[in-house]
Amino acid sequence: MIKTEDLRTAVAGALKYIKKQKDVIDAEVFASWSDLITIRLDYTSDIPCNGIHEPKSIQSYGLGILATFKRGNRIETGFGSVTNDLTKGGVLDALEKAKRNRVYDPDFKTLPEPVDNPALTNYHDKRVMEISGEETVDLGWKALDGALKTLRDGGHKKTIIIGGDVTILRERMAIKTTKEIDDFDETTSLAANITVMIENKNVKGTGWSMGTHLTTFKPEAAGREAAESAMRAIGGRKVKSGRHNVIFGNQPLTDIVSNVLIPSLDLSSVYASDTPFLGKLGHGIASSNLNVYDDGTIKGEIGSKKITCEGIPTGRTDLITNGTLTGFLANNYYAHKFKNNLYNPIPRNGFRYSAIGRDYKNKPGISPTNVIIEGNRGTTGDSLLKQVDNGVYIGGIWYTYAINGLAMGDFTSTIIADSFAIKDGKIASPLKPNTIRINTDINHILNNIIGITKKKRSTLVWGSREVVIAPEIAVSNVQLENVTGFLA
Amino acid sequence: MKPRIEILDKLKGHVFETVSTYYKSLSDCKYVDVRLGISEFKSAASENGQSKDVVDDYDASFGIRVIAGEMSSWGFYGQSLGKNELRNEEITNLIVSGINNAYERAIANAKKKQEFKKSADSLTEVRLAKIKVCQDTVPADFEIDPRKVSLQKILKTSVDVSLQMKELDPSVHYAAAGIRTGITRELFCSSEGANIDQSLPLTQGVVYVSAQKGESSPEVCYDYVGDLKGWEIIEGKNCYNLSFLDFALERTRDTIELSGAEFLKTSKDDVVVVTDPHFNTLLVHEIVGHPTESDRILKMETAYAGRSWLFKSMDENQVGKRIASPLVNAFSDPTTMGYGYYKYDAEGTPAKRIDVIKNGILKTFLNGRENAAVLGHEPNGSMRATMSSMVPIVRMTNTAFGPGKKDPKKIIKEVKDGYYIVNHRTPSISESRENFRISATKVYKIENGRLVKLYRGGGIMANSKDFLMSIDAVGNDFKMYPIPNCGKGQPMQIMRVGNGGPTLRGKARLAGC
Repeated sequence: MIKTEDLRTAVAGALKYIKKQKDVIDAEVFASWSDLITIRLDYTSDIPCNGIHEPKSIQSYGLGILATFKRGNRIETGFGSVTNDLTKGGVLDALEKAKRNRVYDPDFKTLPEPVDNPALTNYHDKRVMEISGEETVDLGWKALDGALKTLRDGGHKKTIIIGGDVTILRERMAIKTTKEIDDFDETTSLAANITVMIENKNVKGTGWSMGTHLTTFKPEAAGREAAESAMRAIGGRKVKSGRHNVIFGNQPLTDIVSNVLIPSLDLSSVYASDTPFLGKLGHGIASSNLNVYDDGTIKGEIGSKKITCEGIPTGRTDLITNGTLTGFLANNYYAHKFKNNLYNPIPRNGFRYSAIGRDYKNKPGISPTNVIIEGNRGTTGDSLLKQVDNGVYIGGIWYTYAINGLAMGDFTSTIIADSFAIKDGKIASPLKPNTIRINTDINHILNNIIGITKKKRSTLVWGSREVVIAPEIAVSNVQLENVTGFLA
Repeated sequence: MKPRIEILDKLKGHVFETVSTYYKSLSDCKYVDVRLGISEFKSAASENGQSKDVVDDYDASFGIRVIAGEMSSWGFYGQSLGKNELRNEEITNLIVSGINNAYERAIANAKKKQEFKKSADSLTEVRLAKIKVCQDTVPADFEIDPRKVSLQKILKTSVDVSLQMKELDPSVHYAAAGIRTGITRELFCSSEGANIDQSLPLTQGVVYVSAQKGESSPEVCYDYVGDLKGWEIIEGKNCYNLSFLDFALERTRDTIELSGAEFLKTSKDDVVVVTDPHFNTLLVHEIVGHPTESDRILKMETAYAGRSWLFKSMDENQVGKRIASPLVNAFSDPTTMGYGYYKYDAEGTPAKRIDVIKNGILKTFLNGRENAAVLGHEPNGSMRATMSSMVPIVRMTNTAFGPGKKDPKKIIKEVKDGYYIVNHRTPSISESRENFRISATKVYKIENGRLVKLYRGGGIMANSKDFLMSIDAVGNDFKMYPIPNCGKGQPMQIMRVGNGGPTLRGKARLAGC
């Protein structure tokens, strides 16, 4: 394990050396250590299994240098990195690579400059940083135990599937630049995402727990929740194809936000003309009840960071305000590219993520932190059901894709779990999972909002890094199609 | 100096020796395997004729699987490797430390499994099906060594391609081209005595183009050319028989044409659809490849990528049953060229071709050693990991619909009223892959055997079995294409696989914007 102090010493030493190089104009030295531990659940009551399949981890550390060089009248940029080496030799290697890899990119304006002070400090859990292999394995078994006990108490012992994982991410980073950025960050995050199926009842339920500290992390509760959700869905029915008023629960809203909305609200998508919101800045794109913003400063949320991987303090970036498109997520590169007299984005989302967290090997891209969805007129869940009156409550969807590209805005998905018919303003019979496909459009969703609950829940979907702090949201006239069920 | 893949010549003996001996010192340690890989690669990216990025670097890592404990259980440890660690003493120490880490997890896991076994009797010891334990060296096969192509040449090619794409028409808003070429060499050593040294080159070009006419939505295209070969791929020896430039310009012309086309409308009922080999590449990937992966069969992917419509239980499944028209064949073959090519999988199992669907009957599943043991099947070597530091999982190889005998032109000519679905775009599949909606780049109306009108924003949707059963014509125009970005696992592993097939004709609903 590499200490933060080691990373800070390395970036300071590297910058001191780089400043002496005549051909280097500016440089940003970033060093990181990350360790991703995954405890994967695999329980099947009727098929031989391991319960916990493979407790595993991937670890990496190193240092990356992004530098600008003078060549004639042009300024060139180059990036180089070294793995598992924070010595002077490593710095020489990384700088050599940066020189070898330099190109002239007229869109590159300058390295980031300090903007303000971080809102978050010392928000990680030292216990997580020191967690043992045995303790991590125990967390996985706790999640499994929560689900198994709940199912047994409910009288379900056969055709059970319990899957998902407990994931622990530990990250440390330090950054120092010729633009006077000099900072560090340490984060710990814990997430349990559990799925339970009772196959002979054709039901699926999901549950999750997330946090930054072990004391508030409850994998067993995620297991219980998944089992309870599955049992609640027994006796599911299909709904007819057609347009329905629906409530999207926390998970479906998160899936739509993570796979369709947020990728469309990113300046790199604007540059590539790959967003349905091209030319819409300052225009109404949604119900006036809706606000969407990114905020990496919320203590306790696993999307939070003290600073970005460019050394800029995280903060709030408004994206949709009272239904009007007010901003896009940006890193330093795109913030400068799109800066003009009317629009001056602050690069609060420049991160160097890979599958294992902050990664010195990468140049900064654009990634969300915590995405908050909220209504100006937040209502209760019961009121939302009454507003919908008759329709469908969707609690779990899967494989949500902008099927014709983000620019078109249309997307599709299937309902897989935790869903019910709404009758006379109340939750009625459960829906049969895997029998309904959603075919709709992000513009339709944003512009046909019936209501938004005040209560929100932090939610993460498979393959996404950002946390969506998601309410439940009711939308009118969503196209649902009947499809075949499992082995039908 | 960056490390070269040849550095493994010096390390392989020590890695094998360490794996062969160290595990014996650990109580109840039943099995260890180590994969140690190093890649040398160069890449370049450009947008609108402007250079954006070049990289000339290496990447190295290792991953260790251990089975240990009274009630045998898995533990895994992976990490990246720096240049200074690619030395005998350092690598030996790191592997010993990695085995200890994975062993500690396996022992902790085994203890808990034993404890839970009292109330969960399906919990079982890990068993690996037997394989032929191999010792072999597989050199990289290419015509033009990726390592001998200069970074300048790669960058210039990328810049030229994106510039010519951008300049093709004023409607092109954005054109990007990326190229990556290199070689990966990986050692696989196991406590059973396997000692495999396998090298694979990879050369890939990617294009991204968006074009917009008037106030209509921009039309966007994203596609790849590539294979496990050398620079000759960029020069035209690829599945398209086009140079990267010509491939990029073809995609750009299509995008320009489409940006002015009418949007397809969703049909109320099924219509006759002729799907081309490029579209069938994604179709076979989603409705045959994934649902025949044995980890889905055994419900291990339920929380992530889903189950399989082909397997409900050991007693109730589709093996040996008709799931497609008698004209339909599908196979998975890592021994043929394509993104799923290899001689040994990530467990050291020799690669082999398997028939997945034969004359419409489901035959078997893709597996690894553990799943093969559970299912009572013979291991067929379908385990891969994106990097050596990641755990291997069941993956498609080169998985495709088999060729038929019919001329594809005749397949279209026979259609009085239907649609020609050309080039895949994006899939959305239901949980057990029993239903799909897949978008195409282009959709043509067919009237009296002729293509009469082009639509954009379209695709097809159907229940998987209904579609496979409806196939009444299979072309003789078989093609294998690269799919570079198949996501699976937790943490997510992005894998390259080969998929393909010939032209097919069946029935499905049109899905429009």
